[in-house]
Amino acid sequence: MLIDADAMLGRYPRRHVGEGTVAETLDRMDRFGIAEAVVSHTLSWLHDPHTGNLRLLDLVVGEPRLRPCWVLLPDTCGETGSAAAFTAAALEAGVGAVRAYPADHGYDLAGRDAASMLHALAEARLPLLLDAAQVGWPSIEAIARTHPELPVVVGGLGYRVLRQAAGVLARTANVHLGLANLSSHCGLEWLVERYGAHRVVFGTGAPVRDPAESVTRLLWSELDDQSVAAIGAGNLRGLLREEARAA
Amino acid sequence: MNALAAAVWKREPQRALRIVDAHAHAGPYSLFFIPDAGRGGLVRVMDRCGVSHAVISSHLAIQLDAAEGNAQTAEIVAQAADRFTGYLTVNPWQDPAGELDKWGRDTRFGGIKLHPDLHDYPLTGRRYAPVWEFAQRTGCPVLTHTYDGSPYNDLPMVDEVAARHPGVVILAGHAGATPLGFDAAIEVAQRRPGVVLEVCGSFNTGADIATMVREVGADRVVYGSDFPFIDLRMSLGRVIFSGLPEEDRAAVLGGTMTRLLQWRSGLG
Repeated sequence: MLIDADAMLGRYPRRHVGEGTVAETLDRMDRFGIAEAVVSHTLSWLHDPHTGNLRLLDLVVGEPRLRPCWVLLPDTCGETGSAAAFTAAALEAGVGAVRAYPADHGYDLAGRDAASMLHALAEARLPLLLDAAQVGWPSIEAIARTHPELPVVVGGLGYRVLRQAAGVLARTANVHLGLANLSSHCGLEWLVERYGAHRVVFGTGAPVRDPAESVTRLLWSELDDQSVAAIGAGNLRGLLREEARAA
Repeated sequence: MNALAAAVWKREPQRALRIVDAHAHAGPYSLFFIPDAGRGGLVRVMDRCGVSHAVISSHLAIQLDAAEGNAQTAEIVAQAADRFTGYLTVNPWQDPAGELDKWGRDTRFGGIKLHPDLHDYPLTGRRYAPVWEFAQRTGCPVLTHTYDGSPYNDLPMVDEVAARHPGVVILAGHAGATPLGFDAAIEVAQRRPGVVLEVCGSFNTGADIATMVREVGADRVVYGSDFPFIDLRMSLGRVIFSGLPEEDRAAVLGGTMTRLLQWRSGLG
């Protein structure tokens, strides 16, 4: 079974990737044998997080295969409410994880402005999902060490980051890597051998990235079936608040 | 489900096709860490997926020293000639004519590799003249790095050299590398019959590859991975799940490149 920790609904302005509808997303998941997905909305990333987060909830109502993932902002300007209100609303709505785009949204995720939001996420045990291009590795390490109860998943790695990621993985226990575009030659096997299969979660980066990449990378890896199953679904299930979904 | 996708799902190497990787390398690279970048690691990944053959240029050749790097490429091919063919790297600053004289008749090499971006030299520059002369005379294919917007190997420069040398097969590595580059590469290939699109990179998708095949034909699009620069399975998966008809997928994954590597049999 595969559960995608890195997928998105909504239109995209920089290349043709389809319309980003729920129907398209489910069809793509079916083509690649992906059972469930944690989805954000491009409106939250590329326009207005508050509006996008609400629209996302409307879109996934009655879609048991899609788990919503909100986008956070620091609560300094009150755009998404206080940190406590944001996380309470997220849990109430069955949000499974929260994404941050500090580079695109213009703030320092490891600085004082975002501290209360990260503290609230950690208390709520809502995983924080990041793209590697959005935040530097020193910041990732600082966040993980300040909030050891906060699961942090860094995706969109590319093929140039093992030197930076290796040290952070060695010095932290709560940083995980997403499989979307984890494209170092034999990098997946190298990471699992050094840090364990529990540090990697399956993700596609769809629709901007082709799910064929991560599906082929995982299934044609040199890992044993048990590790593939953990990376494909088990690890993410462990990070998500499954009980919130049933609420 | 096609046989290759079924093999992925079964976690078994595919055996339905002879897959040839038209764009590969070997060895370490200074900008980032590559696990297991030697010949053994390459063969292991090829065996895991069922890739029969790869055409390689050593990272040493493209990054630093063409002479020492070409010797390294030749040595890797000598150790596994059934699995590898070499690209002879020509660095315009490192005796192009001398490298062609030294290795041009060596059957371990099946193509020429140009990387204008790494060598800060334009694809259209005069220092590459021995390459075009050799390729025109022999039929040896030339793989050049391409990247949309580059001052050294943008698609209009591919167009220019293809117009100057219409008898040369030019493999446009990465097919422009970006969505904008893919469109430009297709336009160049449609104008210049000698241009073949090679599809590895970080931004390509199965849908992009299917568009290339629809626009220029399966005999003008070849699978490459760029491994071990990038893991081989990224690009391979895109082609396998691209939805191409079986015959076209077979051409892209190996048929076309196998044909392009036959040029030495035509030499007197």
